[in-house]
Amino acid sequence: MRGFLLNRLSQSLILLLIVSVIGFVVLNLLPGGPLAQFGLDPGMTQDDLDRLKVQLGLNRPLWIQYLDWAWRLLQGDWGHSFRDGATVLAVIGRHVFATLLLMGTSTAIAIAIGTWIGIRGATHRYSLFDHVATVGAMVALSIPTFWFGLVGIYIFSLQLGWLPAGNMYTIGDGSVLNYLHHLILPSIVLSLVHVAIWSRYMRTATLDAISQDFVKTARAKGLSERRVIMKHVVGNALLPMITLAGVQLPSILTGALVTETVFTWPGMGRLFLDSLGYSDYPVVMGLLMFSAILVILGNLIADIAVAIVDPRIRLG
Amino acid sequence: MTALAANAGPSRWWRSRTVRRFTSHHLALLGVAMITLLTLACVFGPHLLPYDSLYIDLRARFSPPLTGDHYLGTDPLGRDVAARLFMAGRTSLLVAFFAMLLSTLIGTLVGVIAGYRGGWIGAALMRTVDGFLSFPSIFLLLALAAALKPSPAMVTVIVAVTSWMEVARIVEAEVRSLREREFVLAGRMLGLSGTHIMFREILPNAMGPIIVAATLTVARAILLEAYISFLGYGIQPPLPSWGNMLEGAQQYLDSAPWLAIIPGAAITMAVTSFNFIGDGLRDALDVRDDRV
Amino acid sequence: MTERSNTKSNYSRRDALRLMAIGGAAGLIAPNLLGKPAFAQNPPASPTGRVIVGFSQEPTVFNPLMPHTECDDAVHFSVFDALVRMDSKGVLQPNLVVEVPSQKNGGISEDGLKWRLRLRDDVRWHDGKPFTAEDVKFTLELITNPKFRAWRTAGHSLVRDIKVVSPTELTWRMEEAFAPYLSFLAETFMVPKHILEKEADPNAAAFNQAPVGTGAFKWAQRIAGDHIELVANTDYAGEGPYLERLVFKYIPDMTVLYTQFKSGDIDLVDQAFITADHYEEASKLSDRAVMLERGASVESIYLNLEKPQFKDPAVRQALYAAIDRKAILEGLYYGVHTPTETFMPQNSYYYNPNLPAQEFNIERARQILDEAGWVPGADGIRVKDGVRLSFANSTTSGNHLREQTQQFLQQTFAEIGVEMTISNLPAAVMWGDFWLKSQFESAISGVTNVIAGDPDVSNRLHTKAIVAKGGKGSNTGQYSNPEVDALLEKGTRTFDREERRAIYLRVQEIVRQDLPFLPLFAYANVFGRKEGLEGFEANSNARVASWHAAGWHWKG
Repeated sequence: MRGFLLNRLSQSLILLLIVSVIGFVVLNLLPGGPLAQFGLDPGMTQDDLDRLKVQLGLNRPLWIQYLDWAWRLLQGDWGHSFRDGATVLAVIGRHVFATLLLMGTSTAIAIAIGTWIGIRGATHRYSLFDHVATVGAMVALSIPTFWFGLVGIYIFSLQLGWLPAGNMYTIGDGSVLNYLHHLILPSIVLSLVHVAIWSRYMRTATLDAISQDFVKTARAKGLSERRVIMKHVVGNALLPMITLAGVQLPSILTGALVTETVFTWPGMGRLFLDSLGYSDYPVVMGLLMFSAILVILGNLIADIAVAIVDPRIRLG
Repeated sequence: MTALAANAGPSRWWRSRTVRRFTSHHLALLGVAMITLLTLACVFGPHLLPYDSLYIDLRARFSPPLTGDHYLGTDPLGRDVAARLFMAGRTSLLVAFFAMLLSTLIGTLVGVIAGYRGGWIGAALMRTVDGFLSFPSIFLLLALAAALKPSPAMVTVIVAVTSWMEVARIVEAEVRSLREREFVLAGRMLGLSGTHIMFREILPNAMGPIIVAATLTVARAILLEAYISFLGYGIQPPLPSWGNMLEGAQQYLDSAPWLAIIPGAAITMAVTSFNFIGDGLRDALDVRDDRV
Repeated sequence: MTERSNTKSNYSRRDALRLMAIGGAAGLIAPNLLGKPAFAQNPPASPTGRVIVGFSQEPTVFNPLMPHTECDDAVHFSVFDALVRMDSKGVLQPNLVVEVPSQKNGGISEDGLKWRLRLRDDVRWHDGKPFTAEDVKFTLELITNPKFRAWRTAGHSLVRDIKVVSPTELTWRMEEAFAPYLSFLAETFMVPKHILEKEADPNAAAFNQAPVGTGAFKWAQRIAGDHIELVANTDYAGEGPYLERLVFKYIPDMTVLYTQFKSGDIDLVDQAFITADHYEEASKLSDRAVMLERGASVESIYLNLEKPQFKDPAVRQALYAAIDRKAILEGLYYGVHTPTETFMPQNSYYYNPNLPAQEFNIERARQILDEAGWVPGADGIRVKDGVRLSFANSTTSGNHLREQTQQFLQQTFAEIGVEMTISNLPAAVMWGDFWLKSQFESAISGVTNVIAGDPDVSNRLHTKAIVAKGGKGSNTGQYSNPEVDALLEKGTRTFDREERRAIYLRVQEIVRQDLPFLPLFAYANVFGRKEGLEGFEANSNARVASWHAAGWHWKG
């Protein structure tokens, strides 16, 4: 176990190095830069802009900027946002809750509905339900998330007026109910793709489990079909699902970015877009690293969890 | 004797098992039908419609669908939505197709080399793949699109650069398992060069998964183009693409919902078609079912 | 509250008459910062109620001396005070000073070099410490401190030998006479010495995240990415505040911004205001006061005059004649904005209303080009001396109305044998070196040319302001005219309002003739607020609607 962890850790560090180099190079390909927002300011002279460039250290060669940034990061200093001067961690910290709330809710929805559809599809294989679920999943995977969001807003906010068209809550109303009301539409939109993915995987995993010997044994023992499914099949089918949850993280983040844009949700996705728009390099780099770490952690936790649940899998 | 003849005679590819299995896959056929229809509409549609996709008529702005000859209505500049939709389809489908070619090429190259050579080259290549995969692709996509001037060719490259990794993974795994097979060992004994073995002996045997992955990459590429164009970093107007037709649509969702609904439906239709076809190909080519 | 005698009106009789002529009671409510106007509505005795202001950009910079954009101004105007404040008529009013210094009252010497300021003695920082001349000295010196990431330094860099005479009086010397500096001070908010002098690095001070000022509202809290909350400063030295709470809410989408105004979630729409396409609907809403106010920005097509296509004045005239401004304004912008012929804001004292009006005439445009020797080539595009009349036009990608304007122009320009291609860039790229170092061919841009209402436009039109030629400024179209240069130099040395007016009227005449850029329209902003929110006044000399929240109150 220890050897495994060390091995994974060193691999992860190399991965982070690659991510940071790619991110840094790509970002600095951008002409313009963080001072462009003052390009139209009538009172900012070229002198002011040149001075700020030096003060922000943007006049240094790229590799020095990178090494400086990386060295500080190793010491735990993620840098300061160009926009509001706050530390990058603080800036990200302020937006984490909104994104986690949205991602958490939609993942919960996806797991609940996806698992149900998957199991039902597997136990009623080739039934009408199974066919509809199969086709439905493929169509769901084909719908652009933001468009689904737009259609949702059109129907439920603009036409029916049932749900708010955006925002996380109404100002001055911090009640849980208010949050929930705002959460319904974006979390459903974000969960669509994942319901499809979960249901497909769950169906395959359940089918695999059904054909296993211990299920046959359980049936032979005369356990009720429902009990067999719930206890033996689902338990075993859920195992690979844990891995899936880890692997799905980047795509949930991508979905969150698009969904947050459509629903003006104040999370990390919006922060990324805003920061990119302002060329706020430290925050953009911070978000790239943060999401890469999240993804690596997600994978790692999934692997460990699987190893703990299933001793047959040896880590190494 | 009859069985032998079927195999040995001049091969009738349309009678092969693969084709038979594909044609018995209803969804795949539906996919082929839909995408053919859509492609034909994009190729011939603009010639049949009375309006040019770039013709501006401010007096006719925001006409709802079925106003006069504007079958799908007009946009904020009074341009015909139907004409734009088909022109946009050309852009989006071409971008997606070439992005698929490019990313399959990159992915295959990386996968074959990593799988065949193994060792530190293989490890380095596959860690790079992991590196690319641990970005949420949209982050990388947007950063790249913001950095480079978004012409259709550039958008193609950007989409390809962010979607070659899956092909690389699939090919690498396939090649690694084929590497120790008899025909490869035989080739080595005969003194064939590494390049020859990689691309002439192993690659043809890994074509099944590559074709399936490539089909699904087209679907993915259409979506990616739509995402970045919707966020304003993709293909720039006046050249229409399905994604950039949607860019301003949210603003008019209340007053002119067709601006949002129509291009989105076209995207969904195209992507669904490719996903259906990919599914059919997977069954027909006997590719292990390890993704959705 | 202050004594009325502290407030000297700086209006001349002529100004008053002019204002009467413009008319409208709203225009006559003087935003008298430090004294209660006689005709004020009835504000509550103690601060009550809350106002939620919506912004489409998030205010993030709270140290008013650091680089920031418009929306941040709203926080600065509410939390801080400046020495002077520019009112809606372009007249400077005292804020932290007792009277606005001028050559007449001896605050500024005849040669414009020696300045003497007298400050109010009853102002306190939010933490209770008194505000003194030391704070002013500290603020002005911090701006030019090379270690500090200051915002604008123009004007401030000319200040020398700041001397504190007494807690309420200070003097300084200017390196050269610079009349616009007085207006610049209206956007220079005072920061507390006793807090910032203790900071090793003022760029990373805790103050920057939780500012302490002398203004009508105190900092309460910020929910990043969402809103900022301020509370009434009950010890405020000036008029107001009448509201207990002031909330600046960030709504990143203009349509949602409007929707929330419509639904009543926000009480007032600030930057970037109600979009033109919603104006008509908004003005019919019940219980909402929606008004169209002239802004300071002018939308123009900037031509890079060093490109061979644009060197010929005939080309610029022909292009101008080929712009169907009426169609653009009425068709695309819903008739909200107004046509203009100049860079000067239309309600500025220095605006020249007597410039020749542009006329849309395709035939005339063709004729001008024919006469100048631009002949259509094989592809229909005109050519002269090997130069093809083809150019790229750039603006911020994602600005839908501008993108629509571009595509519309593209079509009409093609009719006169001119090819315009569209090459838009993300904002962070567009307004960087591409714009500042004149790398564009032509660009559409909405530009505010004046600073805090001062008419000086050297930064935009003086030859020395061409960065691409080694200058320092933002004359990005590379306009160069010796006569304009001389006039602009004279303008910055002249303190007298009338004399300056004559200078800038002439500048506008010459620029209209030279057409270095093609004006499309002067922006009007659609302000919207709930009926019953009183004391609100629009001010085109400030960049935000929330420039004077101290005077706002709910109808009691």
